[in-house]
Amino acid sequence: MTQNFTDGYCGRDLPLRSRREFLQKAGLGFGMIAATDLLAGENPLAARKPHFPAKADSVIFLFMHGGPSHIDTFDPKPLLNELHGQPVPESFGSVDLQFTKVDRVPLIGSPRTFRKRGDSGLEISDLFENVAAHADALTVVRSCHHDGFTHVTGQNWMNTGWARVGRPSIGSWVTYGLGSENENLPAYMVMLDGPIKAGPPAYGAGFLPAVYQGTVLRSQGPPILNIERPGDITERQQRKLLDLLRQSNEEHYAARSDDSELAARIASYELAFKMQTAVPELADLSAETEATRKLYGLDNGETRNFGEQCLRARRMVERGVRFVQIYSGGRKGGAGVGWDGHNEIDRNHEQMARSVDRPIAGLLTDLKQRGMLDRTLVVWGGDFGRTPFTDGAEGGGSNRNGRDHNPYGFTIWMAGGGVRGGQVIGSTDAIGLRAQEDKVHMHDLHATILSLLGLDHEQLTYFFQGRDFRLTDVGGGNNLAGRIV
Amino acid sequence: MRRLAIFMLLVSASALPAARADTQAALAVLEAECLGCHGAAAMSGLDLRTRESVLQGGSRGPALVPGDAEASLLYRVLRGVREQDRELRMPSGKPALGAEHIAAIASWIRNGAAWTERPLDAGGQWWAFRRPAAREADIDKPNPIDGFIASKLRARNLEPAPEADRRTLIRRAYFDLHGLPPAPEAVDAFLADSSPAAYAKLIDALLASPRYGERWGRYWLDVVRYADTGGFETDIYFPNAWRYRDYVIRSFNDDKPYDRFVKEQIAGDEIWPDDIELRGGYRIPEEKLEHLEARLGTGMYAIGPVYHEAALDGRQLRYEWLTDAVDTTGEAFLGLTLGCARCHDHKFDPLSQRDYHRMMAVFAGSEPKEIPVVNKMSQFGFYSGYPRLLKVEEYKAAVKRIDAAARKRLVKQVEAGFSAEVLAAYRVPRGERAPEQREQAAKVEAALTAAGLKENAAGRTARLEYTPQERDDRERLLYELGKAALAANYRIASATVLGHAEVRYPVRMTSRGDYRAAGERVAAGFPAVFTGGREQAATQEPASGPFVPQRRKALAEWLASPDHPLTARVMVNRIWQGHFGRGLVAAANDFGRQSDPPTHPDLLDWLAVRFVEDGWSVKKLHRRIMLSEAYRRSSLPVAANAAADPQNEMLWRMNRRRLDAETLRDGILAAAGKLNLKMGGRPVVPPLSADEMQGIWSPAQWPVSLDPAEHDRRSVYLYVKRSFPYPLFTTFDAPDTSVSCARRNVTTVAPQALTLLNGEFMREQAKALAGRAEDPRRLWRLALGRDPSPQESERTAGLAPERLALLLLNLNEFLYID
Repeated sequence: MTQNFTDGYCGRDLPLRSRREFLQKAGLGFGMIAATDLLAGENPLAARKPHFPAKADSVIFLFMHGGPSHIDTFDPKPLLNELHGQPVPESFGSVDLQFTKVDRVPLIGSPRTFRKRGDSGLEISDLFENVAAHADALTVVRSCHHDGFTHVTGQNWMNTGWARVGRPSIGSWVTYGLGSENENLPAYMVMLDGPIKAGPPAYGAGFLPAVYQGTVLRSQGPPILNIERPGDITERQQRKLLDLLRQSNEEHYAARSDDSELAARIASYELAFKMQTAVPELADLSAETEATRKLYGLDNGETRNFGEQCLRARRMVERGVRFVQIYSGGRKGGAGVGWDGHNEIDRNHEQMARSVDRPIAGLLTDLKQRGMLDRTLVVWGGDFGRTPFTDGAEGGGSNRNGRDHNPYGFTIWMAGGGVRGGQVIGSTDAIGLRAQEDKVHMHDLHATILSLLGLDHEQLTYFFQGRDFRLTDVGGGNNLAGRIV
Repeated sequence: MRRLAIFMLLVSASALPAARADTQAALAVLEAECLGCHGAAAMSGLDLRTRESVLQGGSRGPALVPGDAEASLLYRVLRGVREQDRELRMPSGKPALGAEHIAAIASWIRNGAAWTERPLDAGGQWWAFRRPAAREADIDKPNPIDGFIASKLRARNLEPAPEADRRTLIRRAYFDLHGLPPAPEAVDAFLADSSPAAYAKLIDALLASPRYGERWGRYWLDVVRYADTGGFETDIYFPNAWRYRDYVIRSFNDDKPYDRFVKEQIAGDEIWPDDIELRGGYRIPEEKLEHLEARLGTGMYAIGPVYHEAALDGRQLRYEWLTDAVDTTGEAFLGLTLGCARCHDHKFDPLSQRDYHRMMAVFAGSEPKEIPVVNKMSQFGFYSGYPRLLKVEEYKAAVKRIDAAARKRLVKQVEAGFSAEVLAAYRVPRGERAPEQREQAAKVEAALTAAGLKENAAGRTARLEYTPQERDDRERLLYELGKAALAANYRIASATVLGHAEVRYPVRMTSRGDYRAAGERVAAGFPAVFTGGREQAATQEPASGPFVPQRRKALAEWLASPDHPLTARVMVNRIWQGHFGRGLVAAANDFGRQSDPPTHPDLLDWLAVRFVEDGWSVKKLHRRIMLSEAYRRSSLPVAANAAADPQNEMLWRMNRRRLDAETLRDGILAAAGKLNLKMGGRPVVPPLSADEMQGIWSPAQWPVSLDPAEHDRRSVYLYVKRSFPYPLFTTFDAPDTSVSCARRNVTTVAPQALTLLNGEFMREQAKALAGRAEDPRRLWRLALGRDPSPQESERTAGLAPERLALLLLNLNEFLYID
């Protein structure tokens, strides 16, 4: 599908040729107005048919901010434990890293215990005991890689398929391709644990129209920026103001009734008014049962925050939100470093994993119980993985028991959305430094996610700066979708 | 235009022998219609540039059987052939070629499909690569612009809309030239002035005001992806970006000739190399200041995104800077998306990857440099006061010594909890610890981290305890530190401009945009399509000996030449777009073959030619456009035209436009009577609401301006932080500053309504507007430039003034300019 929002995005414009294009120009807000006949079916966020039958309708992307270690979680490396304390064997070669000079640091084994789980015997470490109970639902991809060895570039790669800013995030591409199922809520929602390093561009629409950008749902204060009426104005007063506004705008429109943008703007106020009810309702967890709250770990201080976000994610998907992203370990989580275990990684990961393990397992259980897991794709990952050797360039053999960033080989996993569980895709080398077999680049992962949603990554394009852009650029050749469902 | 060119070729070819005429006509069709995909891009493997490659064909087999059109795929696909289950018809996705073109191809094949001596070339035929033609309008009108438009309207049988009423006109002109609403008094005066020259006088007055440069400078800042920081995690601050921003505003206000504006930005330093030495007095000679001003223009190349990760490899950092320079230059001045040729030959335009690298070589050897903008005496003044700075350093160090002592005591307390053996292990240097010592040391380290005494990402968080003596000393030192800091100067006022690097690295061809895959060395030059298909060096450079770089100078002079096919057209089109919301070429940064040709090619060319004749005066261009009938037309619908040209491509009326982000904010501040018109200087950092602040990674990088009056400055002066764009602006479609923006998005989304209804900024402004008058009718006049109707007055009578003000600022009538 190639859509052109032709009148007025940066870089290229075409004259507006058709009524449809003209109406799209209005870029009608999340879920536009069924009220105005004129605009029926012209909403850029109207639910659209995928390119081919989809396995999943929505995505929940769990993002471990800072970069979780694959070799301490989902990618066991027995040889690494044997080589603990030794220098990196020369046969593994060198890589560019943020801080570390590979030839000056020792390997460190994983202090975690890996066990075979479920019927499939998938090996998962004791950092994720609760998630491990769902092993037979997970497809673990151990051969992921990209080129961004700093946080911002890693987060950009994972989210936008490009190191630098300016490209649309995957959630934006998905909503651009599929639209939304709920006109009163944003189609693409993001929950943060404090600010993230890549900032809003990580969930931004890039060069796509702003209507496709991720909307942050906050855990404290107003759930969406400016969603709350100012304290000194009652709902009735606001309703009256909106009625007067509508009346004046309609009079203004009467003489300009060929301008659908004016109509769209009139309707956007009605939608805003409805959102003022729909969004707080979405965010409010009081209607959830005690059992559900417990399932997500809301009864525990360590898991409450991420648990609430996972629970809200389920509520979003229930209400037709297309793409949900939850970050663990933003500025407010994990002592300000998130999953970025340069120092004392074991302690760091123990703390971080404790805060997400039960909520994630609870989410999987809950989705399954409600029959939603089949149509909801859950993805777990982070900026990148971590190195098998200690962190640090200075004075040979730093002993901070940390690991540096490693974009050259790391793990993500998927569950639900038609994905067959209990399987492993690809592998890293014997110490977990580089992806080795069946390598899965970010473009491949993105192509896979799009495919599961029924979108052909080569057809989902947008014309900008003189050419058709894709989420997967010129990659995506190793699309896993055909193999893992 | 494109079809016209082919038609003309057919006509002129009629004098030639029949076979040769056939050949020329057919090859012209191939060049104009087919080479975009089947030239260098060779889609489906088919390359139509040479006879051999056509005979060889592509993935569907040979394309040509000389003498037999029906057997030639090249001919058959023009009419459509069935292939398996679908129809194959060329050009793909476009309307079929006209019958005369198909006939020309058929006839040529039947005559043996002769070729010319040269390969075909997609570029030469494209309108934008040929010089503008100075053709006059067919219809005579006082303003020739109207003559060109009238011919189109007549040909399409469209009825021009009547002139807009004067209240609409003055509002349109104010927002267009100043980005601000007219004051009620200005509206009254204009309505009362019945002289025929009243409107022209208004335009002249608006053009003479400094508000004009702030409005139109902002458009240019979009084009050059202006920002005050470099983006990414470090988001480095550009202390001097504002000097370039102010330079742009001044340039528009001074009506600097556009050719000069181009030259200054690309090569101010190479064309006007100078210093600012004094000559026997305190005043810097005028000419030197002019040259300094010209150099400020090159700041355009010192404000791009700085890909922080690339700093780890100097080659990559340089490569990223060069590609940004080439891409921005291409889009801003040439109106071409050169960026496509970074990784491979341009698929649609005759721009090769080699061309791209030759342009990179133009900028190679240049780099941003900081230069003083004050004279030597003032620089000496700074160094004469330097000891004050040392005093500041001394007080800082003294405070830190006290803190260090207090921290040391705390460390001792923590360490006291461990055995001597563990502590001994901890004191062993890191690399030399035995395994069990590592574990022991880790315990100490963990305890120190927990106590906030170790540096980590969260910083040292320990709360230090001071002795009474220390506390007294510290307070006194802090006071002295403050006094010393107030008296000290921190830097010599400087600008960041382009200069020349001490080491010049050669530019080599790269593969797929990977700087590491370096190939053969490339010399500086311009795209070959502009130099008759031959590579021509930008400059003659000595192989050895002293060398004053002149590469950018050559580029600047080439671009600013009156003969350049693109420079004037691209700028004229930008100005037109600013007035009508859409350019004569809709894609203002892409005049290449992927874009639709101009809606009014003759008008575009005429404007470009006149622009150059007028000494590249942008203000004269504004005046010419704004005095036209076309500009003054009403934006209301004309029923008769609705079907024939619903998008108003032929300009039978004015386009209605929504205020862009900055104009919306400025317009609201102006209506509220709060706009602070102070010009220039360091960017203003506006306060953020607590909710907005939640989204920023590094709050320390958002140092809010403490003077509240600063918060009401015009939007063009607000801090543009790449990693955290100002939320109000993002909501209203401000551009991403990573690349050049030709034209703003216009989206209509519910969060905009939420922002304007519930946002803190709006509540403050509504309050301020409400406070401006007792009489509610005056509020209507301040916001909308008109009185309320009796019905409007009646139904809003019960509203509190603040609510009425909020209502007015939310009206479509306020946000849209008729």
